[in-house]
Amino acid sequence: MTAVMSPPVTPVPPPVRRVGRRGGIAPPWLFAAPALLVYALVMLYPSIVGAGSAFTDWSGVGEQRSFVGLANFKQLLHDDQALGALRNTLFLTVAIVVVQNGLGLLLALGVHTTIKSRMVLRVIFFAPVVVSPVMVSFLWKYVYNPAPDAGLNAALNAVGLGSLRQDWLGNPSLAIWSVAFTVIWQCAGYSMVIFLAGLEGVPQELHESAMVDGAGTVARFRHITWPLLAPAVTINVMLSTVGGLTLFTQIIAMTNGGPGYATDTLSTVLYKQAFVFGKFGYSTAVALVLAIFVAAVSFIQIGYLRSRETAA
Amino acid sequence: MASVIERPVSRRRLLQLMGGAAAVGTLAACGGKSSGGGGGQLKIIGAGSQEAGLRKALEEYKAKNADFDYNLSFSPADQLQTALRAQLAAGNAPDLHAVYPGNGSAMSMVQLSKANLLADLSDQAWTQKIPSGFKGAFQQDGKTRIFSPGTSVLGVIYNKKAFATAGVQPPTTWSELLTVCETLKKKGIVPLALGAQTPWVTQLINYALVPGTVYAKQPDFDDKMAAGSATFAGSGWADAMNKYLELQKRGFFNDNPNGTTYEQATSMVGTGKAAMVVQVSAVLQAYREAAPSPDDIGMFPLPATDNVADNWIPGGIVVGIAVSAKSKKADQGRKFIEFCGRPDVVNAWAEAVACVPLYSDGEAKVDPVLKPFLPFLADNKAVPFMDQRWPNAEVQPTHFAVVQELLGGKTTVDGALKKMDEAYRKRA
Repeated sequence: MTAVMSPPVTPVPPPVRRVGRRGGIAPPWLFAAPALLVYALVMLYPSIVGAGSAFTDWSGVGEQRSFVGLANFKQLLHDDQALGALRNTLFLTVAIVVVQNGLGLLLALGVHTTIKSRMVLRVIFFAPVVVSPVMVSFLWKYVYNPAPDAGLNAALNAVGLGSLRQDWLGNPSLAIWSVAFTVIWQCAGYSMVIFLAGLEGVPQELHESAMVDGAGTVARFRHITWPLLAPAVTINVMLSTVGGLTLFTQIIAMTNGGPGYATDTLSTVLYKQAFVFGKFGYSTAVALVLAIFVAAVSFIQIGYLRSRETAA
Repeated sequence: MASVIERPVSRRRLLQLMGGAAAVGTLAACGGKSSGGGGGQLKIIGAGSQEAGLRKALEEYKAKNADFDYNLSFSPADQLQTALRAQLAAGNAPDLHAVYPGNGSAMSMVQLSKANLLADLSDQAWTQKIPSGFKGAFQQDGKTRIFSPGTSVLGVIYNKKAFATAGVQPPTTWSELLTVCETLKKKGIVPLALGAQTPWVTQLINYALVPGTVYAKQPDFDDKMAAGSATFAGSGWADAMNKYLELQKRGFFNDNPNGTTYEQATSMVGTGKAAMVVQVSAVLQAYREAAPSPDDIGMFPLPATDNVADNWIPGGIVVGIAVSAKSKKADQGRKFIEFCGRPDVVNAWAEAVACVPLYSDGEAKVDPVLKPFLPFLADNKAVPFMDQRWPNAEVQPTHFAVVQELLGGKTTVDGALKKMDEAYRKRA
């Protein structure tokens, strides 16, 4: 019987797995290719082509357009309406980031308790988020009706505060506050939900041991809850900043940028330049500057907030 | 099929297939740049203020052409310049759409004609009947680009019952107007409703005043502005704006006009809570519907000065309709426009929207409430709406904004007119 000798088996080395920077397994980047291709076609390509319009005098319709170099950007530096809109945009952004997130945090702390109605309250506070911003704007436009017998003014009358009646959207000094309040009213529930998710991740043991050590409510919030909420703060601040800098729907629906230019933002200015004034080239220049501005603010912000998370 | 299944698919091949599918899907989504509606329908977007007339003309045309089909929708004035313009920019404009006569707006005949977006209608018979004074509203470079049923006038729409309650009559001079307002105010009736939160409403009082304060003295004011030898700030526009503010300072408007909308102002006059509103005749129907009886509503010219001879009126061609030059159904659209230009259709349309017909064939019926305006039209004392001769689309929105600022106490008459002059001098 002839012994059948098997050829010696060459040991096959296990496949080399690429290791990512953070030590995990890096998936082949080509998996992302289809999505990247779609993204390039529907986002990058139109954006790049659109950005080219910023260097022309195109009206937005027809084929006539001439290359004007940086003229649109130079005009932007001397455009009182755009500079006023930039001030309004920054004001709204700061107001929304601070108040919306402050309120969202308070609401989250309020419903992160053992009270029986906490689930109902969560739904109530989150409900405005799922309503269309246009609907919310029309609702509040009704609430802000300047007639003494309508909306908020009627409510003030009913509780004996008739002297506080205002022309909420018609007074140029007050209109921007009214718009900011509406946005905060709608979006505070969104911040609440993110903070709530963060609060759910704070280990109860830490609180219990701190209580044993005699820490009060404020001290526990300051030294345990707040540092561990850092990721939620990052997300909320980022989202509300970008939302504030690009605020458009509520302004157009409630005031159309008025009275005068009192509530114009960079987004409404670029919209009006394109579709009302027929200056698509200049509008694109404003849009380009806004996009770069938002990206720069976001980049700086995320750098700072991430470092805060690491420190926490 | 089998070969495909059995063939081993490399990673590169898989990605090629997926990428190709994604590209095809995306391109398919971006396509469909049909300039016409589907199913042989003529897609039409009209101005809300012309709804009654356009609908009537379409129904009559369809009754005579059984195979004619259309898809009709309307846009309020504020959305015409945005939604419709976006469609024009995207190349999917409706076959027929609303266009403002003359120049001065991003959706005006001149601006769209310059972009070659409007079909030429010059060979149609009705174009020969356009009065010479109004040709600039219809024609660019000698070619007719829009159809409009006629002239709308701007004046004071008033509630007759409120006037009767206060025992006052329509005034014929500025001083008389102030006296009427004072009397109404003492009776607890708001003299003038003003819904200045709606941007286009802000301009109307100035438009009603400047024919008297500017054009009666300088009929060639627009030419001088175009030549650079006149300015808003150095003209009777300042007088008009001061009068506008005088009405506010004397408490003749409703409270908080900047927070009040056009619809709220309409309701105030219809119900008699307010006695008057400065408006175009094209919206008369809305006031009639808001009043208990249509006969409660009347109209008279706004007297801008104390010299009756100087009290001219604004009377402009109403928003028209044009055929998209890129429409695949342009011939069908042009046939409908030709039908609209017939005398009986012009008259019916004009009657439906309370305007004076474009031309008269002797049978034209003019809404009785417009009769006080007809002598002004006959005597050439009517001035086209001012924006129709402004050189770019920025002056009019600037006018809206500065009036809101004036009413809100955020600027002065000089500051407001300076901004308008700056906007006027910008390139077209």
